[in-house]
Amino acid sequence: MTGPLYLTGAFGADVSLWVAVGIGFLFGFVLERAGFGDARNLTDIFYFRDMRVLRVMFTALSTAMVGLVLLSWVGLFDYTILLEYSLLKTYLWPQLVGGVLFGLGFIVGGYCPGTSAVGVVSGKLDAVIFLIGMTVGIWVFAAGFSIWGAFATSSALGRLTLWQLFGMSKEMMAGLIVVMALAAFALARLGEKWAPYGK
Amino acid sequence: MKNREYAEGFWNPYVAGVALGLVLLLTFYLMGTGLGASGAVARTSAVLAHAAVPGAVEQNGYYKSFYKTEGKNPLVNWMVFQVAGVFLGGLVAVLTARRFRPGVGRGPTAGVGLRLSLALVGGVLAGVGTRFAMGCTSGQALSGGATMVVGSWVFMMAVFATAFLAANFVRREWS
Repeated sequence: MTGPLYLTGAFGADVSLWVAVGIGFLFGFVLERAGFGDARNLTDIFYFRDMRVLRVMFTALSTAMVGLVLLSWVGLFDYTILLEYSLLKTYLWPQLVGGVLFGLGFIVGGYCPGTSAVGVVSGKLDAVIFLIGMTVGIWVFAAGFSIWGAFATSSALGRLTLWQLFGMSKEMMAGLIVVMALAAFALARLGEKWAPYGK
Repeated sequence: MKNREYAEGFWNPYVAGVALGLVLLLTFYLMGTGLGASGAVARTSAVLAHAAVPGAVEQNGYYKSFYKTEGKNPLVNWMVFQVAGVFLGGLVAVLTARRFRPGVGRGPTAGVGLRLSLALVGGVLAGVGTRFAMGCTSGQALSGGATMVVGSWVFMMAVFATAFLAANFVRREWS
């Protein structure tokens, strides 16, 4: 059957909630097996001790990206639906500022939202505290929304992909990203040898 | 630091990456959207605030969209159910690997007080960041990244550049 199944009406909203639990289960299981339930495994990348996070993330991203292109080639996935209805929208400046704040939160706090959930069930008190901090942070964002709400939805570029921006095919762009990922894996190895903060 | 026992016993990172990528691919095939996490925290924060000051939350410029449909609990939502699954799947993975160890993940010379204070500060920063970025590592970097979304790549580059630059200032926390 041609996906995305939910958007083409193969099942309804009630069923989608059960799908959500199943998908989340797999997601949480793999995150734990990747070692992402411990803040030290997540932050070691930033000290060039262990580039595990880069390897897992770029491999996962490339696998899903190439998989979607392949599925659309064989007619099992309608990429047009994705582009027109469900692709994330770009808000350039707020996403850049959000990335900087999030990057600070990541290195200072040691987790990101999904991994903190796995940290909590691994028994990590720091993950519990991080999750409480995130809740407080979102209260802060909501409380000040009248001040920065307009900025948060500014520079809206709509559903825009890199290959549309650069005027190339999605296959070419995906190929370039895979090459970039492979180069990053090679650099990661050099970074671990360099180890500027010690092993 | 030579002995990194906390990094042992996990899957090869490339194997874990392919597994994670296949979960993400399955999600797109089934739903047309990717994975997420911070949206569930946002809805939880709304419900907690709503218990204290319902009127203010329903009027709030950011939170009001969660209360559009009258009588519908903001927690009955795809993302919230998916994150409930993450807790479950993570727990099963931890228990089957016999890896449940209560404690605080920190560098060998960092105190518990320092680490927990910074976990709170970092959580607040990350929480605010996710709302400006409309997502986190799961929703933007991974899912938006795999669908080659411009804003997601901008977010991902900003996250990693900032964290690499800021790492020097908190090295006592992790070394």
